Amino acid sequence: MHDVYQFVSGPLAWVAFLLFIGGSLYRIIAMLAEVKEKEPFIFTYMSLKYSLRSILHWITPFATYNWRRNPVLTVVTFVFHICLFACPIFLLAHVTLWDEAWDIRWWTLPDAVADVMTVIVIACCLFFLIRRVTQREVKFVTYPSDYVILGIVAAPFLTGFLAYHQWFTYPVFMILHVLAGEVMLAAIPFTRLSHMLFSPFTRAYMGSEFGVIRKSKDY
Amino acid sequence: MAEPAVTQDQEKEEEQKVVDDGIDVGISRLTTDKIETVINQVLKTETGARLKTYVNTCIHCGLCSEACHYYMSHDKDPKWSPVGKVKQTIWEMIRKKGRLAPEEIRRVVEIAHTECNLCRRCLQFCPFGIDIAYLISMARRICHKLGVTPKYIQDTAHSHSVSMNQMWVKGDEWPDTLQWQEEEARGEFPTLRIPLEKEGADIMYSVIAPEPKFQAQLIYQAAAIMETAGVNWTMPADKGWDNSDMAMFTGDNEIMGRIKRSHFETAVRLRVKRIVMGECGHAFRSVYDTGNRWLGWSHPPIPIVHAIDFYYELLKENRIPIKEKFKEPVTLHDPCNVIRGGGLMEKSRYVAHALCDTVVEMHPNREYNYCCCAGGGVINCGPPYKLKRVKSNKVKAEQLMEARTRGAKVIISPCHNCHSGLKDIKNYYDLHMDIKFFGDIIYQIMEKPE
Amino acid sequence: MKKGMTIIAGAFFLAAFMVLSVQSQEDMAEVDPSVFMNPQRPAAVFKHDEHNETAGIEECNECHHVYEDGKLLEYESSEDMRCGDCHGLEAEGNMPSLVKAFHGNCKGCHEKQKGGPIMCGECHVR
Repeated sequence: MHDVYQFVSGPLAWVAFLLFIGGSLYRIIAMLAEVKEKEPFIFTYMSLKYSLRSILHWITPFATYNWRRNPVLTVVTFVFHICLFACPIFLLAHVTLWDEAWDIRWWTLPDAVADVMTVIVIACCLFFLIRRVTQREVKFVTYPSDYVILGIVAAPFLTGFLAYHQWFTYPVFMILHVLAGEVMLAAIPFTRLSHMLFSPFTRAYMGSEFGVIRKSKDY
Repeated sequence: MAEPAVTQDQEKEEEQKVVDDGIDVGISRLTTDKIETVINQVLKTETGARLKTYVNTCIHCGLCSEACHYYMSHDKDPKWSPVGKVKQTIWEMIRKKGRLAPEEIRRVVEIAHTECNLCRRCLQFCPFGIDIAYLISMARRICHKLGVTPKYIQDTAHSHSVSMNQMWVKGDEWPDTLQWQEEEARGEFPTLRIPLEKEGADIMYSVIAPEPKFQAQLIYQAAAIMETAGVNWTMPADKGWDNSDMAMFTGDNEIMGRIKRSHFETAVRLRVKRIVMGECGHAFRSVYDTGNRWLGWSHPPIPIVHAIDFYYELLKENRIPIKEKFKEPVTLHDPCNVIRGGGLMEKSRYVAHALCDTVVEMHPNREYNYCCCAGGGVINCGPPYKLKRVKSNKVKAEQLMEARTRGAKVIISPCHNCHSGLKDIKNYYDLHMDIKFFGDIIYQIMEKPE
Repeated sequence: MKKGMTIIAGAFFLAAFMVLSVQSQEDMAEVDPSVFMNPQRPAAVFKHDEHNETAGIEECNECHHVYEDGKLLEYESSEDMRCGDCHGLEAEGNMPSLVKAFHGNCKGCHEKQKGGPIMCGECHVR
């Protein structure tokens, strides 16, 4: 276990972060380069004002027509994404590892709060799963890959929860937790989890088109 | 809403038994290899990061579904949802790397041409701002390159190509029609002229070809308004007078470019300050947004003023004396291309309130209004698809019905496609409402010479 | 009422005194967490003599180190001090915080020796 943990938290962590950061940069740069090569007109229409107008509306709960039309989903989506990011970034145990490895540290969440947030993320994943299976319009456009990416996102939280509470065999779940987190990081640039990278760009472009040309709201 | 006279079974049969030579013959000439070549040619060379990013970013959440009138009108059957339609077309092409069987192209062409109006309402619903209309347009482009396009709309594209207008209006028919309308109108407005080829006029007035073809009274009305408001205007006597563009909707971008260039160049030849266009939505999209871009102009090379905007200007400056406001309560339909695509929602309301005593808002309205289900070339696919078209917009009938219960008697629809589409809906669902253009109302209530 | 309070308070202090007085290296079972205001994890398990026997540690200053100007003084040792006497709750200059010092001392050595617990829950056992 000692060696396995050393390996997953050492070299594998490097691999995961390199894939995540390198992959993300590659995907974004490749996209921009292709726009420049084949659709440079897109840059002509980009407007900072309308990009921000669009992005800000869509990252604010209930600020858009469609968010208001789907209150339950809106709450779940926002709570999910907030917990998904805040929990691992501000988790004491994670910051401790950053501190030990790189001598950098920042504000952390109380463990009890992080524990609740973890449960929320898992519950939200379940909500999305149930929605995918039961809602006709979602089921119709669901592919196996949709379940896979949902699983990729849920896994670090599920294993993290079990490891934190030290249920069942602690070292196994601890190692699985690290692995699951690394799989998620590495998967972001190469799966449709890349909406994390691309959505600001697609939003900004649509916002600009609607603001500059169509003079109406895209939210 | 009374039940339609035809039984549902009869209708179903009729809906499924569509015979369309444009599709049937086109498909008979296809092979999987040819399809593969064309799809990959379009996807690899004509599209780029935009399409890729849209496909890779879509998280399959289905949140666009309820934006679509097709989906809402078919008991929320997911095959009609925007993302459902992208799944059955573009995703399928990507998944199969372009190797679709000829019969699979039939479904693609049906969806792209007759089950999506490119109204772009779903663009406002997608949390990521994915341009679903663009994806469906690419499906149409592929169908076009495969030589599979519904016959009726393909015919209009042919007409554009040959005669530079949508309706096969021949060279002499055009000035003849204008002179005929001038003559008619001079009975009512003795000094009225429809100035042809007047170089240096302030405005070139352009219309869609169906106006001279079978709605010539609209030209009469426009001339009457111009005369009353004392506008320095002109119309071209030769090609370039038609602002419509069905090629844009068949994915025939090359012809779209030709007809838009001809339109712009005519305005430049006449040295006018701007182009004012009649109450048409798709033409506005073509001249203001799409065609100019294909030609390399980021914005139209000459200011484009839609009729709503023009009437707004005239009414604001009190240039049209009104005898008496329109009495019957009206409701205002917001056409996608000029409202969602042109931001004229408040000007449209200004005009409506300036002309009418009572304006009843339908809900949803402004840029969130439901589509008419005729635009985007769907009505131009002709009679074979009429039943599907009206049945696919039950939600519009409900929306109009609701406005009617609050008193609205007349629907104002400042767009030709919407106008025709709403007329079909009103007839099918027995709505008993009148449909008018702004121009109809202005002409009706303005002061005329004794 | 007042009398009752006095008895309770008295009993509390007595208990506290007994706990403190009996604590010595031999009986030590965990790292004393009392200095932490709001500990997030259970106290780290640490059986002093058992640990040293297993690890084969003879010299006190293997763990009870002394640093001066950032340099380890090889022949000095600090077992007569509490760790918190030097290490504050927050890091100061080169001096790591108490938490980090504990982690560095235990986990750091375990990693080097390729033995002993290195995952959070292996020391902070629930």
